[in-house]
Amino acid sequence: MPTALSSVAVPARRRFRLSAETRGIKLMLPVLLLLVLCFLVPVITLLLRSVMEPTPGWQNYAELLGSQTYVRVFFNTFMVAGVVTLITLLVGFPTAWLLAILPQRWSRLMFAVLLLSMWTNLLARTYAWMVLLQQTGLINRVLMALGVIDQPLALVNNLVGVTIGMTYIMLPFLVLPLHATLRAIDPSTLRAAAVCGASRWQSLRLVLLPLALPGIASGALMVFVMSLGYYVTPALLGGTSYMMLAELIAQLVQSLLNWGLAGAAAFVLLVVTLGLYAVQLRYLGAGRSEMGGR
Amino acid sequence: MTTPFLQIRGLRKTYDQVVAIDQVSLDIKQGEFMTFLGPSGSGKSTTLYIVAGFQEPTEGQVLLNGKSLLDVAPNKRNIGMVFQRYTLFPHLTVGENVAFPLRVRRRPESEVKAKVAKMLELVHLAEYRDRLPGQLSGGQQQRVAIARALAYDPPLLLMDEPLSALDKKLREEIQFELRRIHQETGVTILYVTHDQEEALRLSDRIAVFSQGRIEQVGTGEELYEHPSSRFVAGFIGNSNFLPVKVEQMGGGRARAIFPNGQAVEGDARAFAAGSEGTLMVRPEKMRIRPHAASARGLAVTVRDMTYLGDSMHFAVQTPWEQELAVRMAVGDGQGLCIGSSAVLEWDAQHGHVFA
Repeated sequence: MPTALSSVAVPARRRFRLSAETRGIKLMLPVLLLLVLCFLVPVITLLLRSVMEPTPGWQNYAELLGSQTYVRVFFNTFMVAGVVTLITLLVGFPTAWLLAILPQRWSRLMFAVLLLSMWTNLLARTYAWMVLLQQTGLINRVLMALGVIDQPLALVNNLVGVTIGMTYIMLPFLVLPLHATLRAIDPSTLRAAAVCGASRWQSLRLVLLPLALPGIASGALMVFVMSLGYYVTPALLGGTSYMMLAELIAQLVQSLLNWGLAGAAAFVLLVVTLGLYAVQLRYLGAGRSEMGGR
Repeated sequence: MTTPFLQIRGLRKTYDQVVAIDQVSLDIKQGEFMTFLGPSGSGKSTTLYIVAGFQEPTEGQVLLNGKSLLDVAPNKRNIGMVFQRYTLFPHLTVGENVAFPLRVRRRPESEVKAKVAKMLELVHLAEYRDRLPGQLSGGQQQRVAIARALAYDPPLLLMDEPLSALDKKLREEIQFELRRIHQETGVTILYVTHDQEEALRLSDRIAVFSQGRIEQVGTGEELYEHPSSRFVAGFIGNSNFLPVKVEQMGGGRARAIFPNGQAVEGDARAFAAGSEGTLMVRPEKMRIRPHAASARGLAVTVRDMTYLGDSMHFAVQTPWEQELAVRMAVGDGQGLCIGSSAVLEWDAQHGHVFA
């Protein structure tokens, strides 16, 4: 009996929702058309090429996931993205917190520096890091002059270089959403925690971090997903031994003209990204309803 | 004499060149409900925040049971506090909020459970234990905040305008609850408010703050009946202020002259003869009689009369064209109508002369 009842109720609700939706869709048509032409069609083309070239079948995916070289590229990609996300979090959380509590005069200045670096050309910034990090670069020379090291450190063309460069580039993408979350936290909540007897560490762990979690999660996922597909910085600051997925795709397309394999690699990246995005949406959705009353 | 429970000694706090509070001294007895009353910016919250440990005084001392509080970090002072805004932790349930101060003190879980139940019982919110603060009304949230502040049996509870965000009806309801909680727990309360009615309703004693200093400390009755300054008289209750010139001083009484030359007497502190002053009389201490027959009173004209159910409100005009408020029992105003001449009288002890 309950099933019969619900089967009556559902279509009525759905019809109402559809009519409201179709009205909206009509207005959105030009934008939708643009999206379909410029995004959906190329993606589908790429997907088709990945299963059609050179012959129809799954051999591109089999090659990608079967070869040790390619699996290593995947592993590098996730590891670098993970390390970058972690370090960005460690640097970004205190930065965002400082921005939230500094007097406005200082926080504005800090914001300006942050945004200015974000708006500067990506290539220029990456090359600047190359200059700073190289064997005879400023950092090595200063460290040697101070007597901290005897030999120049290998800071570029390896994982260290990629991590430094990427962290620097990703920082605003974490700090900005996190700052918004932290700003929304009433400072007297932390005062209340102190009056209740919480030490600074307890206030951070039991009050500030849980309240900042939505911002941390969205910022961290943004950084992770962006890092997964990043090309310029790893290509310039990383060595050949730590090739990442975007570099592999570029090589497959430019040097080897292997569109099928490149399409498969791009598609795997897309699926992972969408999967993470779904996790984020789901997580943040739950987080938001939990905070509902504020 | 035993040492007072809480001693505030010569507190002074300056920001750059601005003096926030100066010479604030006060002794508070154990179990007392002491209210800091004053307009915003009068230094009452600054004083409370110094006791809480969020601000450091430029000068002065705060002693609890004879020991200085100033060297103790806010989280080690073991003081309870309820804030103006709702400061419950939004990610924790009501029960977890109340348990928070006990958990950070690493009390055993059985004790935490029992105490949370007891505290929620105290504020009548036991059935809300598993709700999130966002699902509670403002009044309920403040009651949870009170339960959280009392959960660790602090000897002192600080309250910084805890009811100012609530509407009038809720405010009165929680004022009643607060009195009950104060009586049941016997905790010493320092309460900050700008609402004189709230102060009168709740407090054992009230300290009236003005411009960073304490103007007067006393019970509500003392402040109302014997205000020590024009500010206190104006801040607590309704008052009429009449301009006078002091002619003679003696034995706590002043003989003064109204602008129309009539003489009057009133309570006064030390006063230089010949100086300008103000005579204060409460509206309900004044009487109006018809017919300007009696020479003792002040000749006035009735400008307005309002029937207020339990009392009658009159607006009368003095010979020097000042409007005064008079409140009388309904039956006492017979024979008066708007525009009629009348005589205004009061007993000399109800007149207070201020500088």
